[in-house]
Amino acid sequence: MKKAYKILPVYTGDVSGFASALYELGGMLVIHDPSGCNSTYNTHDEVRWYKQEALIYISGLNDIDAITGNDNKFIGDIVRAAEDMKPKFIALANSPLPYLNGTDFKGISKIVEDRTGLPCFYVQTNAMHDYTKGASEAFSAFAKKMLKPSGKKVSGGINILGTTPLDHTNTKFVIPEGKTLVSNWAYNSSLDEVLKATQAELNLVVSSTGLAAAEYMKEAFDIPYELLGNYLDVERKKSRNYIVGEPVISGYIAAQIKKIYGADLNVIATTEITGGLLAECDRKCHGEDEIKQSLSDAEMIIGDPLFELISPKTARFIRLPHFAMSGRLFRKEIPDLMRLEDYYNEP
Amino acid sequence: MQITDNDRIRIADASFPKPFAGGLEFNAPAHGTWNIVHIGFKIPKAHQIYICADNCMRGVVMTAAEMGELNRFSSVILEEDDMVFAGRLEESTIEGVTDVLNSLPEMPPVVIVFPVCVHKFMGCDINFIYDELSKRFPSVKFVRGFMDPVMQKRGTTPDQRLRKAMFDIIPEGEKDGSVTVMGCDMPLSKDNDIRKLLEAQGVTVRDEASCSSLQDYYDLGKCSSVICSYPAGLLGTTAFCKRIGRPLVYMPFTFGYDEIDDALSQIGTVPVFNGRVSCDRVAAGLKTLLGDTEIAIDYTAVPRPISLARFLIEKGFNLKRIYLDAVDPDEKEDFDWLAANAPDVMLCATMHVKGRRPLRAESDQKILAIGQKAAWFEGTEYFVNMIEGGGLYGYAGIKAFLKLMEDAFIVPKDTEDIIPRKGLGCSSLLC
Repeated sequence: MKKAYKILPVYTGDVSGFASALYELGGMLVIHDPSGCNSTYNTHDEVRWYKQEALIYISGLNDIDAITGNDNKFIGDIVRAAEDMKPKFIALANSPLPYLNGTDFKGISKIVEDRTGLPCFYVQTNAMHDYTKGASEAFSAFAKKMLKPSGKKVSGGINILGTTPLDHTNTKFVIPEGKTLVSNWAYNSSLDEVLKATQAELNLVVSSTGLAAAEYMKEAFDIPYELLGNYLDVERKKSRNYIVGEPVISGYIAAQIKKIYGADLNVIATTEITGGLLAECDRKCHGEDEIKQSLSDAEMIIGDPLFELISPKTARFIRLPHFAMSGRLFRKEIPDLMRLEDYYNEP
Repeated sequence: MQITDNDRIRIADASFPKPFAGGLEFNAPAHGTWNIVHIGFKIPKAHQIYICADNCMRGVVMTAAEMGELNRFSSVILEEDDMVFAGRLEESTIEGVTDVLNSLPEMPPVVIVFPVCVHKFMGCDINFIYDELSKRFPSVKFVRGFMDPVMQKRGTTPDQRLRKAMFDIIPEGEKDGSVTVMGCDMPLSKDNDIRKLLEAQGVTVRDEASCSSLQDYYDLGKCSSVICSYPAGLLGTTAFCKRIGRPLVYMPFTFGYDEIDDALSQIGTVPVFNGRVSCDRVAAGLKTLLGDTEIAIDYTAVPRPISLARFLIEKGFNLKRIYLDAVDPDEKEDFDWLAANAPDVMLCATMHVKGRRPLRAESDQKILAIGQKAAWFEGTEYFVNMIEGGGLYGYAGIKAFLKLMEDAFIVPKDTEDIIPRKGLGCSSLLC
């Protein structure tokens, strides 16, 4: 059964993805939820919470307000908090109960915007998807609401899109010679930085969470985009060696291994956004049973250590901890993904 | 008294029992308190199955993962289509749980199934789900779990109801003269007068927090009387005692001498010799060491934080702040005493939006915190790392508590490493 997970955890959810994406941009992020989303996020899905300030709150929705559709409390609480905390913008996220009762988030955003004078937008979530969906929606909603065309261009300027700590916990991107970093969306970043994004000449998508914003910027501001390392240009053949995880990062690593060692790896994409991100030899899997089935003939697997729980004992397993899967369990082992030599050795 | 919109208020000006207005909620990165997953695992050999959406699932499954208990935990994920078609939610729940149980290497004797807020809102026939599962798996004892925080603002919390459901499976046993202590997650400490005095009288004490086998757990029902030691366990313990016809004494860890004497007399122990005097002596020694060091406490450390605050003030300590979001109605007398005798003690909310501000660790002032939340808000590495009273009780408990304050004052802790860890006292794979 697709919906049953006997032993594997689920990935970080969409609401946490939303919060992670916008964490450093100075906004007030409000999750319309009774309780739990905030604690789950800051415990298991966020490395910055202990020390780095961010205005992320839940609404504390109760049963009566949910049943009667009382949005006034939600709106009033947001407006009061905005007066206290002076955010740069406000972003709202949904959860199962407001999703079920059809809460009008776009309407609420408009009212909040009128009452606070701050930009306010809705990020489409409902807690029923993984983090890639939430972070992707957050980046693109932010771009649509906040970005303005720029009269000037930075020569060789690039934006890096999709750098949340959920995927790139310890990754350090090296800017190629002749290129200039305009903005980073949005880990070790700032609002001022990302607002300059339309000055760039190129967007570099470093995880699936950055794809939708790249597509929007291409359409709205005529900024082309590339996938990390143009990994789809590297031809890979069918193989029983697999890399399991997020498709852009997995595809990039598979391409690097092919280029350096000549070995073919196939990507088993286990996160939601995969459109246009997989090669022909790759596949998308949903749920523990499907992933387990896909790995059943494996000779070698690269993946988060938790995937070893459902991998054949005969397969060689190379540990590549992924914060959005195993959270804090192997955090100290998470490598810089750009340094292949730190986590992969040819057999 | 007014309920304040601010994040802190003098106790003399504070409304009882709810000092703070509701609003958006902040969550501090202190996670030593137990959640429903930790609590559920107190039943030895129990398997837990949660039925909820991805984002809700993440918190509970990672709790189990960090405990190293993934082999006793499974998930059934709800998706949009479960909420569109009539009857789909029941079907997904039943078939999902069935699929999980059929795939386990061994059928667990007890399974706690956790429906969520969505089940409630969709008008899901919960009884049908449990009836059907019991028919399909007659050897399994199903416990109804709760993960519906949408209900907790106006009624009981999910963990209160979970504890009750867990106690509901304990059979009534033949009375053997023992005393069962239940409701608290912390095992009874050696510095607990309940245990010390009863055992000195030859009475067997069974501790719900220390059961090492399922039989031990079921044997809790053989007692002749029951002691509840923690507020969140009172709902379940009361129902348990009513069902099996046993007397109940409620004895949360308190710092009031009269209350201790009264409670100990109710369970028939001999009076503690020199209890008050020895506590006063230890407190005076600690006061000499601490001098005017500022002290902050929070509600997660002990079940009666206001009682602790009063004790500290009475003994001359420089208590400045109490972190809590509401006050236990049972603490009215101590609250009123503090309002009259220490009016400038500040009550500080832990969930208020203003809680999200940079740490104040840069302060040169040494602050002693009692509890993890107080440690985080104060930005101090000098803190008593305790939840739920740490299994302490009575005069022995107070003296042990004062010793922990002394240790905390002398030896700094790695606050950033310690307090984000979940479930103090549980196993943890985090390194």
